[in-house]
Amino acid sequence: MDLADRIESFRQTLEEWLRGLYHGMISHPAYEKIEKEAEDAEDAFMLACFPDAFGIPSPVSYYTAELLPYLEDEFESWERRLWDRGTYLERKGQQYHF
Amino acid sequence: MEPFVFFGGKGGVGKTTVSCAYGLKCARDGHRTLVVSTDPAHSVTDVFDQSFDDSPRSVEGIDGLDAMQIDPEDEVTRHLDEIRQNLSEQVSASMVNEINRQLEMAHGTPGAYESALFDRFVDVMRDADDYDRVVFDTAPSGSTLRLLGLPDLLEEWIDRLMYKRRTSIDLFEKAAVGNNEPRRVMDGDPVLRRLEERKAFFEFAGSALHDDAAFFLVLNPDELSLNETRRSIDDLREKGFAVRGLVANKLTPSPDPDENGRGARYLRERVETEEARLETIRSEFEPPLVAEIGWRSAEVKGDLLADVAAELDVETAVEPPTHV
Repeated sequence: MDLADRIESFRQTLEEWLRGLYHGMISHPAYEKIEKEAEDAEDAFMLACFPDAFGIPSPVSYYTAELLPYLEDEFESWERRLWDRGTYLERKGQQYHF
Repeated sequence: MEPFVFFGGKGGVGKTTVSCAYGLKCARDGHRTLVVSTDPAHSVTDVFDQSFDDSPRSVEGIDGLDAMQIDPEDEVTRHLDEIRQNLSEQVSASMVNEINRQLEMAHGTPGAYESALFDRFVDVMRDADDYDRVVFDTAPSGSTLRLLGLPDLLEEWIDRLMYKRRTSIDLFEKAAVGNNEPRRVMDGDPVLRRLEERKAFFEFAGSALHDDAAFFLVLNPDELSLNETRRSIDDLREKGFAVRGLVANKLTPSPDPDENGRGARYLRERVETEEARLETIRSEFEPPLVAEIGWRSAEVKGDLLADVAAELDVETAVEPPTHV
């Protein structure tokens, strides 16, 4: 292995590390935030579909009930999130890493 | 006239009689006709002396006339069972109970009956290829009017739901890092697909009701009925449907001029007040009075129905539907 190859392999390792570092410190938390935002959007969708879960009668719940078979995951995580969410403010607060 | 004809009005004014009579008239004029009753009181059964269920069945003794009855309760149950079936195929056993609760709640809401009824009669309109004319005898209450306003309302709702769903899927797709599979994907999302199907359904319903349906109101010559009719006309117009004509039913017969007993005097007085009310209708109401049907002493069925049909001045010629 001559010098050029060793430099090349060193550069590759360095680049991989840097990318990993950047991903772990900067981009991954950002993706987490996006995912939380996506969950919030999903919650809004679920609430619009099934407001009667909170005692609010809805003209469409008869129709949105048709979606229930396809909403297993969503329904489960929706309930879970509703249970362990303190306040909406807290939830939104989690989405900011200072 | 349009292929779909709706008869509405207050409870007990004789919508079923008039609808059946009109159906008979259409059939006699050579149009294949279906009479659909959305009244769970099963009065079509009484008029034709023959039982009907929720699939069209030909009326004995009358060529070209079929009838069916939609029971909203059955429809709600059917809808519920269908979803349950779907549920047990798709959802893991542990979640079924959880979701079942939600499902039952949705079907216990006050709007469920209306939605079920609406679904069914839109289905009937969609599969009406076999018939030249479909006559709807609507359920007696204000809910029928709300029913007709459903498509616009629901289309908007579905649009909003679809927007919300798309937003969240889009975010989930963006949140998927590197080679990770996103939690939800836009392509082939079954929820969006169902919503789109529903939207198409409401779009069809809206355009069929607006372009291919004619509305008639049945009323009796009394104050209550007049007031309700006035409100219904306004309601329908607000929703963009015009009432084509009014049918006055159960008019009191006038006694012979030489009769002067207590009964005759009573009848004469009634006829006078009724005549005054009819005059009000003629002068103040915009839709024309297309029929004045006298009170029958016997239940209207058989030959009597033909008599009533003869008194109906509603044309039967059919224009082809614009939405199929």
